Amino acid sequence: MMSEISATRTAARAPALSYGALVILLAAVVVVLLAASLSIGYAPLDLQKAITDAIAGKSTLEAIVLMELRLPRAALGGLVGFSLGMSGAAMQGLMRNPLAEPGIIGVSGAAAFGAVTSFYFGLAGAASLALPFGGIAGAFLATLLLFALAGRGVGTMTLILAGVAINSFTGALTSLALNLSPNPYAVSEIVFWLMGSFADRSLPYVWLVLPLMLTGWGLLLASGPALDGLTLGEDTAKSLGFDLKRLRFQLVGGAALAVGSSVAVTGAIGFVGLVVPHLLRPLVGHRPGRLLLVSGFGGAILTLAADISVRLLPIRPELKLGVVTAIIGAPFLFRLIYRLRGAE
Amino acid sequence: MVLSKTRRFAALLLIALAIFAPWAAKADGNKPRRIVSLNLCADELVLRLADRERIAAVTWLSRDPNNTNVVDLAADVPINHGLAEEIVPLDPDLVIAGTHTTRTAVALLKRAGFPLIELGVPRTLDEVRVQIRTVANAVGEPERGERLIADMDIRLAALPRVAPGKRLRALVLNPNGFTAGADSLVDKIITAAGLENLAPRLGVGNYGHVPLETVVTSRPDVLILNDRRDGPPSLATVLLQHPALAGLADHAVLAVLPARLWNCGGPGVIEAIERLSRIASRSTSARAGE
Repeated sequence: MMSEISATRTAARAPALSYGALVILLAAVVVVLLAASLSIGYAPLDLQKAITDAIAGKSTLEAIVLMELRLPRAALGGLVGFSLGMSGAAMQGLMRNPLAEPGIIGVSGAAAFGAVTSFYFGLAGAASLALPFGGIAGAFLATLLLFALAGRGVGTMTLILAGVAINSFTGALTSLALNLSPNPYAVSEIVFWLMGSFADRSLPYVWLVLPLMLTGWGLLLASGPALDGLTLGEDTAKSLGFDLKRLRFQLVGGAALAVGSSVAVTGAIGFVGLVVPHLLRPLVGHRPGRLLLVSGFGGAILTLAADISVRLLPIRPELKLGVVTAIIGAPFLFRLIYRLRGAE
Repeated sequence: MVLSKTRRFAALLLIALAIFAPWAAKADGNKPRRIVSLNLCADELVLRLADRERIAAVTWLSRDPNNTNVVDLAADVPINHGLAEEIVPLDPDLVIAGTHTTRTAVALLKRAGFPLIELGVPRTLDEVRVQIRTVANAVGEPERGERLIADMDIRLAALPRVAPGKRLRALVLNPNGFTAGADSLVDKIITAAGLENLAPRLGVGNYGHVPLETVVTSRPDVLILNDRRDGPPSLATVLLQHPALAGLADHAVLAVLPARLWNCGGPGVIEAIERLSRIASRSTSARAGE
């Protein structure tokens, strides 16, 4: 995949850092944060003993904490962040609008509704495939609807309004589904689905969503060259030999796979797909194809850092992750809207 | 058991309330005939203490065998959903409500002048006894109340005694990762069963959240899961099936206690204590055999 993308690159406008160096740097930060996420928790843990025991296959308390609690949390932090960051970059490329982000335009909300429906009405056991499929179906339908409503470079206003409509509709449906479900904890669980959290997720969820996410990432990365072509306009992209219909389907499907399976296991975490591509875009010479991979790593960095911070903050039960990403992300949104205001 | 001053005051207040309440002073033939309960925990006491034909309605919650110990008694009693509109047409001559539930209906029924008593949440076994007496007096069946309490005390007295130094350490895990601390009835249940509650050592006062990591590393001997395995799916109960807890099975006894036994500070807690006490003695002897 990487080489395929690199093959299309010729001399980009030279930012301070070359593309390869940027990818390696971001990946290194992700690795450091993964290690930090494993070593930070609620209970003091002898990490060395935990690793030795886990490798030896002994189920000591240390090994249980490491393998069953910290590992799934760190892994999901990386995977979900990567998915959200990359999907944000892809949707912005597809709709050619810097505000196209899964949370803002309602794709995450729809995925949450899909997951809630399959989870609370007994279609999905604790960790069965019906859960991510519910999320993916929701994300897919919302993305199609958005594209039909506001696709292809229409005004920002239309896109945002379509997002507001989808968000409030799916949010209401999620609440409705939870109210109708025979579950005494429904009210507190609405917060999880709307704000997201990595707390106490388990390893089976990781195995459940990993193949789906990888497929989604593959679809998105493969559309990189066509996204670059699309920046020259639809007609030019067509004349360069890109099949735009296929491209759209590939992007919608890839984003739905990545976002849908993320939301199904961790709830809707907002703003990651907005902040990260926005910060990294100048570093890749504003090329949407190159932005995909770096936004994935950037998303993982933001999500892991936010998840580490909710565990370090002295607030119990811990904050929902979406609260932290919104506090970081909302000012970006304001700034973007402020700047776009002049453009329209 | 030493009661704190405020507790003793609260207990005295409840007794006084029960004695001086006008409906309790009625002659035997004047027992309330249309009793309505607005609270799951009041349901159990009313159903156990009053005759079926004098109960006008209990809550819909008492139709669910997962919620209550007296689902058989509730089977043919009409139900309400805690709405004043349902209660007024029943023209109750005694309404029993909880101090934390159905507040709107309670306020309305009070304004309309229906005789109403409110039950708090007991935090000790003594408060459980006081509450049983309160309800027994209110429904005009004080002897049945005393019999119920005497039965509880006989069963409690039959439990084996465990010296404080030899107690196994127990931790309760409720849905959503909440546990019960020193200032709770659950703590008294654990202590009465001959176990030591770990939660106060983790800084939990009455009811607080514990991260799963802390649950694992606090090294409980007995992990008590408040579980409704056959209940509707929820994230709150999925937590109780976390693989990390299953992994603890090598280190601790996992005891699943049905929620209905200790949801309410009623006579059901005695069965909870008995079950925990059996688990405690079994694991103590298993340890001694190692």
